[in-house]
Amino acid sequence: MTPMALLEGRNLRKTYRLGRHTTVEALRGVDFRIQQGEMVAIMGPSGSGKSTLMHILGLLHAPDLNHGPRPELFFDGRDMVALGEAERTRIRARQMGFVFQDFNLVPTLTALENVMLSREYAGIRGPAARDAAGEALDLVGLAGRGNHRPGELSGGEQQRAAIARALVNRPSLILADEPTGNLDSERSAEVLALLRLFNREHGQTFILVTHDPEVGGACDRVVRMRDGRVRDHALAALPGPADRAPRAAVAMA
Amino acid sequence: MRLLRNLGRRKARTTLTILGITIGIWALVVFGSMANKINALVAGGSEFYAGKVTATGKGGGMAFGSPLAISTADRIAGLASVDVVVPGVTMLMSDEISGVSMGMPQMIIGQVAGADRGRESFAFHYASGRALTQEDEGSDVVVLGSDIARQLDTQVGDSLTLRGERFLVVGILEPTLTAPDTTAIVPLAAGQRLYVRTLPSLVAAELDPATVVSGLTIYPRDGADPEAVAAAIRAADPDLETMTAADFDRQIGSATSILNSILVGIALISLAVGGLSVINTMAMSVAERTREIGIKRAIGGGRLRIVRELVTESALIGFLGGAVGLALGAALVVIANEAGRASGTVLFQLTPGTALTAVGFSTVLGALAGFVPALHAARLDPVAALRYE
Repeated sequence: MTPMALLEGRNLRKTYRLGRHTTVEALRGVDFRIQQGEMVAIMGPSGSGKSTLMHILGLLHAPDLNHGPRPELFFDGRDMVALGEAERTRIRARQMGFVFQDFNLVPTLTALENVMLSREYAGIRGPAARDAAGEALDLVGLAGRGNHRPGELSGGEQQRAAIARALVNRPSLILADEPTGNLDSERSAEVLALLRLFNREHGQTFILVTHDPEVGGACDRVVRMRDGRVRDHALAALPGPADRAPRAAVAMA
Repeated sequence: MRLLRNLGRRKARTTLTILGITIGIWALVVFGSMANKINALVAGGSEFYAGKVTATGKGGGMAFGSPLAISTADRIAGLASVDVVVPGVTMLMSDEISGVSMGMPQMIIGQVAGADRGRESFAFHYASGRALTQEDEGSDVVVLGSDIARQLDTQVGDSLTLRGERFLVVGILEPTLTAPDTTAIVPLAAGQRLYVRTLPSLVAAELDPATVVSGLTIYPRDGADPEAVAAAIRAADPDLETMTAADFDRQIGSATSILNSILVGIALISLAVGGLSVINTMAMSVAERTREIGIKRAIGGGRLRIVRELVTESALIGFLGGAVGLALGAALVVIANEAGRASGTVLFQLTPGTALTAVGFSTVLGALAGFVPALHAARLDPVAALRYE
């Protein structure tokens, strides 16, 4: 029995218009499939289309509809291509989590309030939001730092707060764009371990866009991109298939 | 509170923007209070003239008409539509122009108390002392309007000089915010004596004060139209000019509505400037927070919520500006009125309606000014916003 695909895209294309006559074909027809509970890295050189793919998978942008074969994008068994902005925002709020490279946090809000923001966008307010946010900060090791503003936190702490925010709604999919891009190797390893932990313990699905081979190496699978196309879906050397088996069980439960 | 932290990001800029609104609302409060006062004077006049006709002698180059023989009153009283005629005298308290005065001039009026036989509906209330009675005819007593009493620092039992004669103060009126505040009321006989002194001496020498009045107050019979009665009076005595409530509204109403428009116009221009500065501030805020807005949108903050946050913030700027402007405007109104009272010039009247309108208006203005930048923010592409430098 194969686990059901959490996210599946076909014929994903995206052309950006830069000027009147200049366009960039960022994605030239990509098929992408990720199982529930998988942790996948999207790698490739700058301009390969990896960020664009993440934005489409994360419903931040819509794939092009006006040329080529009709694109498909199924998330949780539901077609996303035709959804309007309001509904896509709603799905981002309730079923997805996002971690970006830097400037993840709202500077005027404390770490706790930043995490609560995500909870509020998912429709939960008041003490319930505060408690959940506090727990999420505990889980990422920021207990006691919740009342600090982003400016008072180190880069690694900020990234962990962002992860807490991405996880607080227990979303089925977390998308991270260069989550370790601005961190030194030690902090980077900490953040990566944290993501891996949630992937294993809670069966949450992760898509990581990265330049960093270490990050790629820590994932189940690496999708390599070049010139707007997927080059190969190589399985990462580590961890081995034996490590993945129990997680698949969690995902199916 | 999160909202206040956002305002606190750029304290100097927020303060200046609030100050811009403050100036506009200050102007609105001050000029609005001035318009209120003028409108109250007009309304008071309108009320005073309601249901009666006043008649004065035509022309003669004198402010209150040429003198009339008191026998005119009896002739007019004989008209079918006329119920009661009260002869009286009206004159300025002093011929000197007392500085720059936008308020009502100080007046002396003389009538026989009770001559209206209960027809006068304009009710006086006494702060101290008593009303004049018919028995006061022949004595030199006076009832003072509240502003005159305050200005002269006079109390019941004091005496004062009116046009060179000593009068005993027997009553002081409650403030009415209109003409009676600046009026001294004397018995008819005393008023006639004072009135004759205001006339050119050649004319005065020929006259017996007891036979001269300056005007008539005519109360129509029940059901008679004051306009028709006025016409009948003019027909009966071509030397008379009449004034009714409708005439008063025609003469004064149009002048005050122009003045009101000018005052409110000045205030609105100041507010337009204030509103533009709110738009500018919010547009700059949005630009500075572009990445933050990108984050909020990406993690599931809806467009409506982004708009609401920013509009609330700019409404708060408007409200704060309005509240400070109201406070400063109210302070000026109180100080100016206290200072003005000494010279009998109460220029302002700040009503709760004006105060509420000022603050409500500034809050709505702030919200509207924030709306365009907020809409721009909500329409940002989250990905582009995140990459904004």
